[in-house]
Amino acid sequence: MTCPRGTSRIRGRRERMHISFLIHNAYGIGGTIRTTYNLARTLGEQHDVEIVSVFRHRDQPIFDPGPHVRLSHLVDIRKGSPTYDGADPDHARPAKVFPSSEGRYKQYSALTDRRIAEHLRQLEADVVVGTRPGLNVHIAREARRGPVRVGQEHLTLSTHSRGLKRALRGVYPRLDAVTTVTEADARTYRGQMRLPGVRIEAVPNSVPEPGLEPADGTGKWVVAAGRLAPVKRYDLLIRAFAKVSAARPDWRLRIYGGGAQHDALRALIDELGLYNHVFLMGPANPLDPEWAKGSIAAVTSSLESFGMTIVEAMRCGLPVVSTDCPHGPAEIIDNGVDGRLVPSGDADAVAGALLDLINNDELRQQMGQAALKDAARFDPSRVAGRYDSLFADLVARSGLRGTLHRARGGLLSGALVTKDSLRKVRPA
Amino acid sequence: MSALSTGASTTSAGAAERTRQEQEDSVNETGEAAPTRADCVADSAGGLTFHISDWVRPQPGSYDDWSGALVLIRRGSVGSGDSEVRLPLGPIGDGRLQAALPSTVALPEGRWDVHVAYGEEEPQRLAPGLNDLRSLVDRRPGPSTSPLSVRIPYATKHGNLSLRSWRRAPHAEAGEIRLEEGAMAVHGRLHRVRDPAQWLDGAVLEARCRRDRDRLRTVPVTAEGAEFFCTLPFAELAGDWDGEREVWDLRLRSADAEQPSVRLARILDDVPDKKEIFTYPSTELTAPHGPVRVRPYYTRDNDLSVRVEAPA
Repeated sequence: MTCPRGTSRIRGRRERMHISFLIHNAYGIGGTIRTTYNLARTLGEQHDVEIVSVFRHRDQPIFDPGPHVRLSHLVDIRKGSPTYDGADPDHARPAKVFPSSEGRYKQYSALTDRRIAEHLRQLEADVVVGTRPGLNVHIAREARRGPVRVGQEHLTLSTHSRGLKRALRGVYPRLDAVTTVTEADARTYRGQMRLPGVRIEAVPNSVPEPGLEPADGTGKWVVAAGRLAPVKRYDLLIRAFAKVSAARPDWRLRIYGGGAQHDALRALIDELGLYNHVFLMGPANPLDPEWAKGSIAAVTSSLESFGMTIVEAMRCGLPVVSTDCPHGPAEIIDNGVDGRLVPSGDADAVAGALLDLINNDELRQQMGQAALKDAARFDPSRVAGRYDSLFADLVARSGLRGTLHRARGGLLSGALVTKDSLRKVRPA
Repeated sequence: MSALSTGASTTSAGAAERTRQEQEDSVNETGEAAPTRADCVADSAGGLTFHISDWVRPQPGSYDDWSGALVLIRRGSVGSGDSEVRLPLGPIGDGRLQAALPSTVALPEGRWDVHVAYGEEEPQRLAPGLNDLRSLVDRRPGPSTSPLSVRIPYATKHGNLSLRSWRRAPHAEAGEIRLEEGAMAVHGRLHRVRDPAQWLDGAVLEARCRRDRDRLRTVPVTAEGAEFFCTLPFAELAGDWDGEREVWDLRLRSADAEQPSVRLARILDDVPDKKEIFTYPSTELTAPHGPVRVRPYYTRDNDLSVRVEAPA
C-alpha cells in the first residue's frame, strides 16, 4: 500500500509546515499587519511561511518580513507600475464573494474575487490563514481541498454588523479553526455562532522584545500611540491631561500617530491652553524608541480588540494606565500590579491614575518592572509556539481525515460520507 | 510547491503568466538587497554612536586592509568644503560595526545624509534602524563656551537615514510660549556664553521683519541666571502691516554691542522638525490696515519666528 499523503505530517509537531497567510495589504501600517509580520517571522524560523497580500500600493513594505518569509501580492494598485491592475475593468465591478457587509468591501471587486479565488485554488499549503473576516470567507469557500483553514479574528465578533455576522455564520463552519485575540471574544464566538467541529481558540497578538534598553522611569513624559481615530478617545486623554498638568506642570504628554482626528485634537489642545504640554507627534515607526522616552503609557480607547500598544509599552518597561474597555486591556493589565485599569470614558479617573503614578516614583518604577516581566508572555516565540501547536494539531487531524477520505469508498458508511462531503462542498 | 501553479491552473494563459510573474516578483523581493540599516544611540553631550548589525565579514586575513567608513555628506553642498565627514567604521566585540560621531567633531549646520563605504567603493545610503534618542529629550547642556552641538538622526521621506545638525555659540533655547492678551510671552535659556546673567543684563528681544529688514521692534528681556523671559505684544508687529504676509525673526541682543545677537531656536530635544509638532494658536487683532492674524511658529531650521497675515 502506498503511503497516503498526509501521513508524514501526522508524525509530529516538529514537521515542517507550509503556512500561507492571506492579508488585505501587507504594505501598509497597522495592528493586524504588524502582528502578522511578527507571527510570520517567528514561524518562518521553523516553517515555510509566505504572506500573500491582496493589495500592493507601494514598492517596499513598511515592516520587515525578515529573511525567511516570502511576500507576494495579488492585485497591484501602484499607479505607474508596469503591472498596475487598477485600470482592469473588473476592478470597477463589485465583489460577489467578498461579503458586502465587510468594512473593506468598497476596496474589493470582481478582480479581487477572481485573483483571490485563483490563488486559493492553486495554493498547495498545509495551513492557510485568513486575517480578516472577508478573507476568511474567501478561504472558507474557495481554498482547495488539503490545506487546513484558519480564520483569524483580529477585531471582535460583537463589533461586526448583523449582516456580517450572518455572512460569517453561513461559511465559518467550513473553517477548521477560528482564532480570536482575547478569551472574551472566543467566549462570544462560542456563545453566538454555531460552529460544530470548528476549533475556537484565543491566541493573543505577539510583540517582540524591543531592541533597546527599557525605559528607566525618570523622564517626565506620558506617551500614547495609535491612530488618531474617534475610538481611541484621545480627546478624553487630552482633557484628563489638563487636570494632570494643573497639578504637575512639569509632566508632559506625547501622542504618536496620524489620522482624521488630528485637526480636532489640535484645536482641543489649543482651546485648553495645553500647547506647551501636549504634543501630537505624528506617526512613528518603530515605536519602541518613543516608548523608551516616556515613563507612563496611556490608553483611553472606548474599544480595544486586543491592545497591541499596551503590550508594546509594557515590553519597554512602562506601566500603562488604560480604560477598562472591551475586550483586551483587562486580559493584558494586572490592575494595580503592572498598570492601572480605570472606568471607560472617565477623564477624572484617567487623570487620577496618571497622577498616582506621577506622584509616586517608587510605585511607578515598581509597576514598570512588573510590566516588563509580565509582558514577556506575549513574546513571539511563545505566541508562535501556540500557533505552531494549533496548526500541527489541525494538520494532524486533517491528515487523518484525508486518510479516511481516501479509504471511504470501501470502508465508510454512507452517513459519514455525506457528512464529510458536505463539509467539503465548494461553491459553484 | 508553487511551481505547480501553471500546470494546475485551468484559467487563461494570461492568468498563468501573471501568476508566474508574481512568483518571480516575490523571489526578487526577498532576494533584493534591502538597504543596510544603522542603529544610532545619542548621548547627552550631543555625540552619536552608529551600529550596523547586518554586514558581510571580509575574507579571513583581509582585516589588515579593512577600511570601512561611515560617510556623512551635507545636502546641497556638493563640491564645497566642509561637505563630507568620514568616520572610521570597524567591528566591535559583539560582531557589529561601530562608528562614533563625538560632539567635538564640528559638523556645520544642515542636513547630512548618512552613507556606508568600504574601501574605495562608492558610499551607499543607510536606512534608519533603531534611533535611541532618549538622552536628547529635555536635554540640559552643561556650562561651556564651546559651540553647542546638536545632531538629531531622522528618517527622510524616502526612508533613508539623515542627520539634522546645529552648531551654535551662543544659543538661545526657546521653551514655553504663552499666548495671552494679544502678546506672546517667551521663556527660554541662554547657553554657551561665559556669563549668561551678565550677557542678559539689559538685553532685548529683537523682532526683525524678513521682507523689510529696516523694520525692527525690540522689547526688554528679564533674566534669572541663564533663564530669560520676554513678552512681545503683537500690536508692535501689526501696527504698520500692509496686508502682505510677513515673517518676523526673533533674536536676543545683548546690551554689550560687541556681542553678536542670538537667534531664538528650539533644538535641545529629539524632535528634528518642530514646525508641525510645536504649534501655537493664532491671535486675531484689528490692525490699522484691517483684521490680522498673528502666530508664532518654528521654521524649517527650528528657529522661532512670527507670521503676520490676513485671516483665512
